[in-house]
Amino acid sequence: MVLLYLAQTINSGLALGAVYGLMALGFSLVYNSSRLINFAQGELLLLSGLGLFSLTQAFSLNPLVAIAAAGIWGLMLGMVLYATTLGFSLRKHPLKQLMLTVAASMTWQGIAILAWGKEPLMLPQMLPFSSVRMGPFFFSQDTLTALALAVGSGLLLSLFLRHTRWGRAIRAVSMNPLAATLQGVNPRKAYACTFALAGLLAALAGMAVGPQTMLRYDMGLGVGLKGFVAATLGGYSSLGKVFLGGICLGLLEALFILTMGAELKEAVTYAILIVILILTPHKERQTARA
Amino acid sequence: MSSLNDTPAPDPRSRELVPAAAFFLPLVALGLLLPAYSLLAVNQHLLLAVNVLALNFCLGLGGQASLAQGAFCGMGAYLSALVVSACPESAAITLPVIIVVVFVFGALVSYPMEQLGEGFLAMATLGVSLIFTNVVLSLPELTGGGEGMVLHVPITLPGIGALQGDRLHYFLFLGLLALGAYLYVTMRSTRLGRALMACREDPLAAAACGVSRPRVRALAFGLGAGLSALAGALYAHYAGFISPNQFDLHLSLKALLFLVIGGPGRLYTPLIAVLLLETLLSEAQLLGEARTMAHGLLLAAALLFDPERRLPGLASLVPRSLRR
Repeated sequence: MVLLYLAQTINSGLALGAVYGLMALGFSLVYNSSRLINFAQGELLLLSGLGLFSLTQAFSLNPLVAIAAAGIWGLMLGMVLYATTLGFSLRKHPLKQLMLTVAASMTWQGIAILAWGKEPLMLPQMLPFSSVRMGPFFFSQDTLTALALAVGSGLLLSLFLRHTRWGRAIRAVSMNPLAATLQGVNPRKAYACTFALAGLLAALAGMAVGPQTMLRYDMGLGVGLKGFVAATLGGYSSLGKVFLGGICLGLLEALFILTMGAELKEAVTYAILIVILILTPHKERQTARA
Repeated sequence: MSSLNDTPAPDPRSRELVPAAAFFLPLVALGLLLPAYSLLAVNQHLLLAVNVLALNFCLGLGGQASLAQGAFCGMGAYLSALVVSACPESAAITLPVIIVVVFVFGALVSYPMEQLGEGFLAMATLGVSLIFTNVVLSLPELTGGGEGMVLHVPITLPGIGALQGDRLHYFLFLGLLALGAYLYVTMRSTRLGRALMACREDPLAAAACGVSRPRVRALAFGLGAGLSALAGALYAHYAGFISPNQFDLHLSLKALLFLVIGGPGRLYTPLIAVLLLETLLSEAQLLGEARTMAHGLLLAAALLFDPERRLPGLASLVPRSLRR
């Protein structure tokens, strides 16, 4: 009996954890390159998921086309977000850039309400997985989809950052924008690229989370904040750790639901976030501010 | 805004009399002229205005964007709903105690968070706001959970009697605004206020000049929290009903939004922005569900079309690429 609960916990924890991992990757890409905390990250997921929903209503998509459509739509949303927030205000005070992403988050939520209404929408499952049972453990279709999307895009992302010119430019700007500029990298292009990548990852996360929890106009902030918690758990520095932070957060949440009920889960999660934020060393953040 | 080496003006407060009169006298006239039933809606805008003013202590003076204002307001409301309802006669003692409790809580929350920097502070205070809502939701025996709780007893003060009625509460909220404005003006011209403004302009330089940044900012944070809590307590007994979604993230976000639209660090423009824009937006029925979008666009417009005055800081003089 206990084993059954545990298997269920691991299953649902991994399903949400993969989504948090994807959000956390997008979050830390943007944060590392431009030192901006992107409040509208969750709205990227929301709008890309809703766009994909409309697409599935109109056409019947095969899995590869669905992934490609979600990716392209996410890239576009990321570029739009960059153009309307950071691209406008590169030389402004960081607080102003932060507030612009807050404004973008509210505006996009309004767009979602106007275009898709307030009712939760169910995104159909698009990848042809069937649930797997391994001894006492089992993995549902949702979990396998989320894990496949997350691990696949994480691996591709790490290859991209390591082996392409664009990826190296992003990493150079993350280390030192001035030195990167002197080497001929245009930091603006690198920032735009990280926003587009964050949009792409959010679109895949939307594809993974849509069949699990449905898409609702007010889910953006919650999912974005979970991504932030996961990125903080992972420490922002390496892709693998950040992704693992997401998985850990998902499993922890599932465990909290099992042990103390769903209401206190969120409070405990955010309390952990605050404690970690306060306790982790702030060397890098302070140099970034000074 | 005076810097450290200005010669002190003869009396900084006398300069503030004219704008104060220009702001408060029309509002007093409005309170006397409007019919009592239409004051119900105005009072809700006034509650938001008090929250904006409270947020101005930590953002306008200290340069810290906080999203926990709604939580402090709700804390005041719930504490007073629990304590004052139990013994309404002792409100003259318990109300100040509640304010002090929330003040200390706000200061304690802010103290370790000071080192986080703008973005992380906003995220951490967002966490505080969500934790408050969740704790209220998960204690249904005490707080009524998501259904909210009904308050039957008005606040009773010795010598004044029970606080009831739309018009009386209109003037109570106006009095709170006046109290907050007085505190703000006084603080701006004291050592504490100047230390706060130094932290806002350049945290590193302020710390190098011997300002204990966590301490002064915690004080400002706590003051704002206490003011919000008092407004929340008054509102709870006035409305007769409170639920967690009155004090959730939307209240915090709206307070931040209108403060930024009006210009943090200024006293009256954010308050005017709240009262005018909220009245307009609540009148505009055709907006309907798109109100969130209107808020977002207003904020973006305020940020984009007004040069550097909206948010504190001189960092824009230095190119971004050289600032790391």
